[in-house]
Amino acid sequence: MYTIELEKVRKSYDHFVAVDDLSFKIEQGGVFGLPGPNGAGKTSTIRMMIGIIAPDSGTVSVFGQPFDRKCLKRVGYLPEERGLYKKMKVLDQLVFLGELHGMAMAPARKRAIEWCERLEISEKLANKIEELSKGMQQKIQFIAALLHDPDFIIMDEPFAGLDPVNSDLLKNVLLQMKEQGKTILFSTHRMDQVEKLCESICLINHGKAVLQGNLKQVKAQYGKNTVQIQYEGNGNFLKGNPLVQSFSDYGNHVDVQLAKGADPQQLLRGAMEHSRVSKFELMEPPLEQIFIDVVGKTDA
Amino acid sequence: MHNIILIARREYLERVRTRSFIAMTFLVPALMLGLTVLPTYLATHGSSQSKHIVVVASDKRTAELIQQQLSKESEEQKDQPAGDPQGFENRFRIEKLNVDVDLDTSDREQTALIERVKQKELDGAIFATKDALAAKKVLFITRDVSSFAANEVIQASVNRAVRRDLLASKGFSEKEIDNALETVDLKPQSPSGTRNPVVLFFAAFSVMMILYMSVFLYGISVMRAIIDEKNSRIMEVMLSITDAKEMMAGKILGVGLVALTQILIWAVVVGIASSTALVASAGMLKGIISIKLLAFFAVYFLLGFALYSTMYAAVGAMVNSEQEAQQLQVLVAAPMILSLVFMANILQSPGSNIAMFASIFPFTAPLIMLLRVAVQAASPWEIGLSIGLMIAAIYGTVLFCARVYRIGILMYGKKPTLPELMKWIKYA
Repeated sequence: MYTIELEKVRKSYDHFVAVDDLSFKIEQGGVFGLPGPNGAGKTSTIRMMIGIIAPDSGTVSVFGQPFDRKCLKRVGYLPEERGLYKKMKVLDQLVFLGELHGMAMAPARKRAIEWCERLEISEKLANKIEELSKGMQQKIQFIAALLHDPDFIIMDEPFAGLDPVNSDLLKNVLLQMKEQGKTILFSTHRMDQVEKLCESICLINHGKAVLQGNLKQVKAQYGKNTVQIQYEGNGNFLKGNPLVQSFSDYGNHVDVQLAKGADPQQLLRGAMEHSRVSKFELMEPPLEQIFIDVVGKTDA
Repeated sequence: MHNIILIARREYLERVRTRSFIAMTFLVPALMLGLTVLPTYLATHGSSQSKHIVVVASDKRTAELIQQQLSKESEEQKDQPAGDPQGFENRFRIEKLNVDVDLDTSDREQTALIERVKQKELDGAIFATKDALAAKKVLFITRDVSSFAANEVIQASVNRAVRRDLLASKGFSEKEIDNALETVDLKPQSPSGTRNPVVLFFAAFSVMMILYMSVFLYGISVMRAIIDEKNSRIMEVMLSITDAKEMMAGKILGVGLVALTQILIWAVVVGIASSTALVASAGMLKGIISIKLLAFFAVYFLLGFALYSTMYAAVGAMVNSEQEAQQLQVLVAAPMILSLVFMANILQSPGSNIAMFASIFPFTAPLIMLLRVAVQAASPWEIGLSIGLMIAAIYGTVLFCARVYRIGILMYGKKPTLPELMKWIKYA
């Protein structure tokens, strides 16, 4: 069964088409990535999945049924635009949102306290939201999305603005949810995160799906034509080298895209002549590279 | 429905717990009591300082008559029972008069007296010279030109004295003159009651003002809450659980209940306070609050609040800040402000066609109909019709505003133009 099925969904505002006949399916269980550049239509797509806005045409099915507001009790949503009642106390706020999701007061309260302990902010339960740091507010928002134990979890840029320790904390929670068989939709423009977490993706740009399917298969399509090199010394050998189609210098390492038919061994020899190579790895292209290629092509 | 109750409950609890709610709840009645009780208290128990007035007349008889009348007036006022609402207006008049007679009508004396008033040696000088009486124009020099009530007493006294003088010169006896000059009391009374017109006016005026203030303040408060929520970006979270209509309904219901709670506390506090000796002696509140009027107040408050707060909710959804909301806010409040402007007119003739129309037209009905109910000028069918039309108007406004609200709460950036607004309504 599919958790979400979008069939030729379209949404336009005035003359601007935000989502353009978009179709994809999200299988139950696992992490599905919805990467795309800013303004690609990710948020509009998510909003249509949960009835915040209605599509102009096309159909949305949730849990195998045409969209119905009742299904929202089984959905947890962490929007990119974070928002909480600033003057409300943390515990009151969580209980209120839990009750709206159909929980009774006592269990909502109990679970809110458990979650706050788990995310290491239980000392803030009696504080008002406005007294918390941004990172703490984000944790509360995260709890609010998961409190009612939803089957389908939508995370729009969940790690934005978090330090590595807290990012890791939330990431582990999401991975546990996945193990419990929940479906997680992960929307971001950070390709490295998509690569680490997702099994399937649908890359969208200008409201259209430009690349979709199982992440491994998608990457395999692009073949092993990328070399990651770490070296000390002169990197000039890359410039104007006929073996190199393009390269991205990250400071600590360089990702090199080989020209068609180029022999990586030849490149290694060239590199060793000019510098001390500490790492030379032939690999699939990182998703970021694919993203830049695909988005660059569709924009051109 | 479950969601509406949850949202309303949150709104209610969060609001009644705030310090400003508690402060408003107890400060306003204190202020109201202070404003009504203090002046009366001061007037009745106030300074026993007597005022010193000089009467200038061409002959001694006229002067003495005026002197007598003035003293008599101020004596009579002191005898008015304090708790009598009818004596209410008299209490703001002068207390005790010390009247001297001056038979020097020369210009030099006049200048001297005026100077003495200026120097505060005297409180007033009345120039009832022969010429002045013949011209029917008596000059009264006083520093308190604006003290209408006191000036009226002096005018009445001079008039009486002149008439007395005239009648006496025609050979009438003292008793006959008293008889002739005695005034007839006119008691206006509505067909259904025996209430005093001054009290009735005060009742009508105060309930209308309180209704206006409550609908206005709490309507704005709904708007503010929505602007706040828009800015805190909570809308997206809320919309992922509940729909815009439930959010709007819950918010309006919650704020409405807060308003009712506050008004109820005010009513109780005023009720208790008015039974205490001090206020009872002021007599101001006696008869103002009747159960029937309170019930009508509650009905028209709820209807008026529902109507206006729905519009304010739409305004709140359309804008991003209170500054942006100002123009729209005035537009929404216009019918209520018009009602206030026409209040005096409608009190003058509560049975007129304009009064009737305004009390039935849904946007002016809450204030005007309550005013007419307070002065007992509305018939049951008119009241029924106004309530029915208001309910219909609320229904229409909710349908219209819910659409604006639904789109507006997710829109940030510039305020919509009218064509854009029309598009929103079509979209939703």
